[in-house]
Amino acid sequence: MEIIDLTWTQLGIGFIIMLVPAYILWKYRTGLNKKLLTASVRMVLQLLFVGYYLQYLFEYDNPWINAAWIFVMVAVADFATIDRSDLKRKWSVILPIFGATFFGIIVIDLFFLEVVIQLPKLLAAQYTIPITGMVLGNCLRSNVIGINAFYYSLNEHQERYQFYLSCGATRSEAVHSFFSDALQKSANPTLASMATIGLVSLPGMMTGQILSGSSPLIAIKYQIMIMVAIFSGTILSVYLGILFTNKFVFKDTDMLDETILNN
Amino acid sequence: MAASPDISFENVAFGFENERIVTDFSFKAAPGQHTLLKGESGSGKSTLLKLLLGFYKPQSGTISVNRKTYDAQKVRKQTAWLPQDLNLGAGTVSEVMDKPFEFAANQSSQNKNFEQHRIRTLKTLGLAPDILDKQFRDLSTGQRQRVGLALCHLLDKPLLLLDEPTSALDEASKQKAAELLLDREHTVISTSHDPFWVAQADNIIGLS
Repeated sequence: MEIIDLTWTQLGIGFIIMLVPAYILWKYRTGLNKKLLTASVRMVLQLLFVGYYLQYLFEYDNPWINAAWIFVMVAVADFATIDRSDLKRKWSVILPIFGATFFGIIVIDLFFLEVVIQLPKLLAAQYTIPITGMVLGNCLRSNVIGINAFYYSLNEHQERYQFYLSCGATRSEAVHSFFSDALQKSANPTLASMATIGLVSLPGMMTGQILSGSSPLIAIKYQIMIMVAIFSGTILSVYLGILFTNKFVFKDTDMLDETILNN
Repeated sequence: MAASPDISFENVAFGFENERIVTDFSFKAAPGQHTLLKGESGSGKSTLLKLLLGFYKPQSGTISVNRKTYDAQKVRKQTAWLPQDLNLGAGTVSEVMDKPFEFAANQSSQNKNFEQHRIRTLKTLGLAPDILDKQFRDLSTGQRQRVGLALCHLLDKPLLLLDEPTSALDEASKQKAAELLLDREHTVISTSHDPFWVAQADNIIGLS
């Protein structure tokens, strides 16, 4: 069956249902309706921009342009990670998190696109852009959880960290348990969604493929692969994010430079 | 265990932003002796211990260990520190006590008789061996302090830095702690308001 295209009017009709949550939020004076309006406008504008841009990307399908787009996506994710992790935008944080996310994404992309799927063309846009976007979105979420947990926990429990140092631990030995907690916290949401996938929810990629006419069996194979890519990508980027920032945010006394924290 | 070190602070000054904590402060701690830092709350006693551990850098003056240039990594390898509020995080007492022995600097201290030695030390400080299976965060302040003192003893380091080590202990435990740690084999620098512990000191340095 061919996919049913939505007209702009149909899409507008779809928005009418938003009046229900807006009313509930207004009734309980949550103050969220202004945010809802801003978020909705941003969502529409960003997706319109991406939609038109992707058409251009797919038309040219040039690996350099595709790689440049990945670079831009990682840069945006970098700043979003820093802001949502409650860290300050300092170079000692911006560059290591960018490096970690970019490296993590490139490793995952090259492995899954070129080794597993074996694209006939390097970084073909039809596969590279959506898969990178899905992995990166999840890396962003996990980075926020992991990096925030690591630095705020280290700051809150600095006496424990100092105690380990005082026992002769190297800095990497002293932060080991904080690292472990941060990895656990960042891995849990992806593990939970892996454990319930298909039972509680049908994931977006699979739904999209089925809607566009793919066989459900092809869709689940891609979905399994994307979940593996997401889990590997998130753990790799959180691990590298903490590892790389660790090189720049400690003073020579081994104490955390607290000026990277927002509060 | 290496020989107990001598420690020297000469004209040390330190503060945070606009708050001066210590100014032109000098003292010496001789090997094997117990030097006590005495002063009001906020007079900088704990900060001096942290300066010695290299967590802060003096703004002026010098710290030397065995008359050599200060090296934080070397000092930390020779030190066991009991902070005022010991919080070793999640895990059983056994797990949190094992943690410092996982560090490369301490692996040689955990020999095959370690478990018996640990139980004997805990008993000396009035703690039953079954405390090892309890969650550290469920312990009372006094129990935590005794676990910390036991750890300081087990780490077998030549320099002991004890910040208010008896503030939550009963009289019997204080006596045991003194017997266990003030053995003339360690250089001990402590802070305390407790008359019993103050009486155990070889030197008392007043801070204003």
